[in-house]
Amino acid sequence: MTPLLGARDLRRDYRMGRRGEVVQAVRGVSLEVPRGDYLAIVGPSGSGKSSLLNLLGAIDTPDAGELSIAGRNVVGMSDRELTDFRLRNIGFVFQRFYLLPVLTARENVELPMAEAGVPRAVRRARASELLAYVGLAPREHHRPTQLSGGEQQRVAIARALANRPALLLADEPTGELDARTGEEIIELFGRLNADGTTLVVVTHDEELASAARRVIHMKDGVIVVPREESPTRRIERE
Amino acid sequence: MRILLALAALRSHRVRTALAVLGVAVAAAMLLCMVMLSAGLRESFRELLLARGFQLRLSPRGTLPFDTEATISDASTIVQTLAAQPDVVTVSAVLGAQLHVEQGGEGVTTFALGVNPAAQGDYELLEGRDAKAPDALVANDAFLAAAGARVGDTLTFAAGYDPQLRSFSGERTMVVSGRARFLYLASGQSAVALELRVLQDMTGRAGSDEVSLFMVRLRDGADVEAVRAWIQEHVPRVDAISTAEAMQRVDERLSYFRQLGFILGAVSLIVGFLLVTTLMTVSVNERLGEIAVMRAMGVSRLHVIHQILLEGLAMSLAGGIAGLGLGLVTARYLNSILSAFPGLPEAIDFFLFQPRSAWTALGLLVLVGVAAGIYPSWRAATLPIAGALHEEAVA
Amino acid sequence: MLLAALPLFFALQAQLRTVAVGADLAADAGIAVGDTVVISARPPAGVGEEGVPGGRADWPVDSVVVSAIVERRADPSEIARNDYRVRLHLDQLERLVGYGNRVDRFAVGTFDSAATEQALRSIEDAAFGFQAHRSRDIAAETSTTFAVVSRFHRAIGVITIVASAVFLLCILLLKVEERRRGMGALRLIGLSRRTVFSTVVIEAAFVSVLGSALGVLVGWAASAAVNAYYQSFYRTPLRFSIVTADIVLFAVLLSLVLGVVAGAVAALRLVRAPPLELIGR
Repeated sequence: MTPLLGARDLRRDYRMGRRGEVVQAVRGVSLEVPRGDYLAIVGPSGSGKSSLLNLLGAIDTPDAGELSIAGRNVVGMSDRELTDFRLRNIGFVFQRFYLLPVLTARENVELPMAEAGVPRAVRRARASELLAYVGLAPREHHRPTQLSGGEQQRVAIARALANRPALLLADEPTGELDARTGEEIIELFGRLNADGTTLVVVTHDEELASAARRVIHMKDGVIVVPREESPTRRIERE
Repeated sequence: MRILLALAALRSHRVRTALAVLGVAVAAAMLLCMVMLSAGLRESFRELLLARGFQLRLSPRGTLPFDTEATISDASTIVQTLAAQPDVVTVSAVLGAQLHVEQGGEGVTTFALGVNPAAQGDYELLEGRDAKAPDALVANDAFLAAAGARVGDTLTFAAGYDPQLRSFSGERTMVVSGRARFLYLASGQSAVALELRVLQDMTGRAGSDEVSLFMVRLRDGADVEAVRAWIQEHVPRVDAISTAEAMQRVDERLSYFRQLGFILGAVSLIVGFLLVTTLMTVSVNERLGEIAVMRAMGVSRLHVIHQILLEGLAMSLAGGIAGLGLGLVTARYLNSILSAFPGLPEAIDFFLFQPRSAWTALGLLVLVGVAAGIYPSWRAATLPIAGALHEEAVA
Repeated sequence: MLLAALPLFFALQAQLRTVAVGADLAADAGIAVGDTVVISARPPAGVGEEGVPGGRADWPVDSVVVSAIVERRADPSEIARNDYRVRLHLDQLERLVGYGNRVDRFAVGTFDSAATEQALRSIEDAAFGFQAHRSRDIAAETSTTFAVVSRFHRAIGVITIVASAVFLLCILLLKVEERRRGMGALRLIGLSRRTVFSTVVIEAAFVSVLGSALGVLVGWAASAAVNAYYQSFYRTPLRFSIVTADIVLFAVLLSLVLGVVAGAVAALRLVRAPPLELIGR
């Protein structure tokens, strides 16, 4: 079966500082993510995991390598094609939530659907449905400043699901949350994956990593320990 | 959604937005004033010239009407010549001079117009009877106040006055038969009007039949320029000045104000532009993370540009509308200053409000608002998504 | 024969009277010093013929030599006048225009102000039919136009200053707001409100002084451009705009005051907010 995401020999360099020193953030990474997978990418700071996630999410362009998502080769797409592709196929969740403070929770969730041209009544209904799914139905008219960190992250997750993306990418989704709130997000991710959403998360959080089906370890821009299953998951499965 | 986002973004920083709108309002007020200045004087003057329906004015060659003391002799012959032109309906000959009246031992000097009351275009009768008799004249309020006279009074007018000897010459007794408003005189300027022949007689100009000016009314639909050219050819001692040409000549004299209006208007637009573009750039810089996420989410570059441009436009529009009222008040104040120009007819306004002025100012502001948003919106739209997210995380 | 005629030619030239023409007339008509021109009070283009209304067939006509070209005076009252000026000997002009032995006015020069007063009294006592006026009294009367223009300029200046003040306040507020996070971080590491406040105000003062210095340069260049343009447009040596030391000082000081006030207002907003709020937590 064709994987949902297939990356071959991805490379990404950055020029840093005044002298333009080259940092090889991603050095020849290859991986496949089958549909319905729940993959965690772990590694120390500066290992290139966020850079890899950016490449996988088509918000950054690799310097070399191939990348296909949902059967389409995204390397070489124009910016317009990439933007539209992301809108309809990929959802993002970030460490800092990045909700628009001037909109309510429901309006934040509606935003991607409005961009995709979904009629107002339809997108309102779906936004309410998604907020109920993440447990925030009573808070849909609150602005982000009126929500806790965990609640904001839930809204961000609902927003990421707005256009029914094939792939959900999360970069340190529990990074700014306390342990208890983090657990709630981890539980939500588990539910999402059980309901069929393909997830790729980048994290320092061991709890989150252990909740994933697979964990890959990165160091210095390469995958170091390609593990098929985390020990916890293997035991559960057995 | 984009309009909602734009307005919400502006509302979220109330103080900043209010200050920026105030700045744009002040710039808009100045712009409106300058647009009104550019158009006002011309329109105001044109309305004044056409107030009585005379489309042409004939003055001594090389002069503007009443610009110098030069006169045109053999006026009757010229009137006959003009009457032969089929498009000419009325010719009004006017002589300007100074007359003096004794008041309390001193002479009160007044500007006097010698006219044909049946065909004059210089004054409107407000009270009493027109000056249709040889011993009758009409006067304005300024003269009546200075001379301490009323309608019906008999006064002795003189064409000459020696202040050293305090003696008068060329005297004639006249009755103030009516009160009038003189259209082309400055406010507060004392004036009387009497029969042309009488004034010529008093000032010793009867023999040469001198006048200062002819005003010519044409039939409806006549080609003004063609008649002007005909007059120029057949009466070469005069300059025939159409309304358009008179306006152009006055334009030249007062071109300074038009150019000042243009320069200050341009400066206002530049200031407004700088203000809006600075505000929008700062606003974009503060929201780089949000914008990067929107782009990551799939919002297109074009829509990001629309978003930012809408914010700039909203600010310019709000400032423009607020500036409209401020501009009208400012224009009134500036007009009151310039109305003190010596010799300026009372009816002339430097700042004349026309709806066209407001639309022009608003239109320019809209353009500026859009232009001001170009750089910040381009910056937002071409943001490298991953780089911006990384910088936000680091910050 | 030609050489023999030369002395006669120069003798004839010497008999012609001289005139001085205005520089604009000389430029437009291509007249140079030494040229011989014909002058008359007769209107052009066929007038002076019999049967034409008001025509005289006998306008005097003189040939004259241009002995000088006169630049326009820097007189504001003349700037909008497009008429050409020619200076002739008085008796010649009187004859040409048929005025007879008439003039419009006499101008009297005196040794000093005391002599002016004495001359004024003597003339008024001795002469009939006209009045003597001090030049400065006439100047005061005829300066109404410029009083109006000055008031107008002052009003525009005030409005511009108000607009600039609003603009400056807005810009400085924005720039300080942009640095909220940085200032919040400084507060968190222990810098006092006073230090943050004074840092912002000093920065605003620097920006104002630097900006006003640049503005003075721009203003000086604009003033030069205005003078160059209007002097050419109105063909006058009059200076329309001047930048003086006290104007520069006023502008810089006002900018500094406005900048410091704007910076202080912005800094107050900053130091009143809790540091955590400044860094966005």
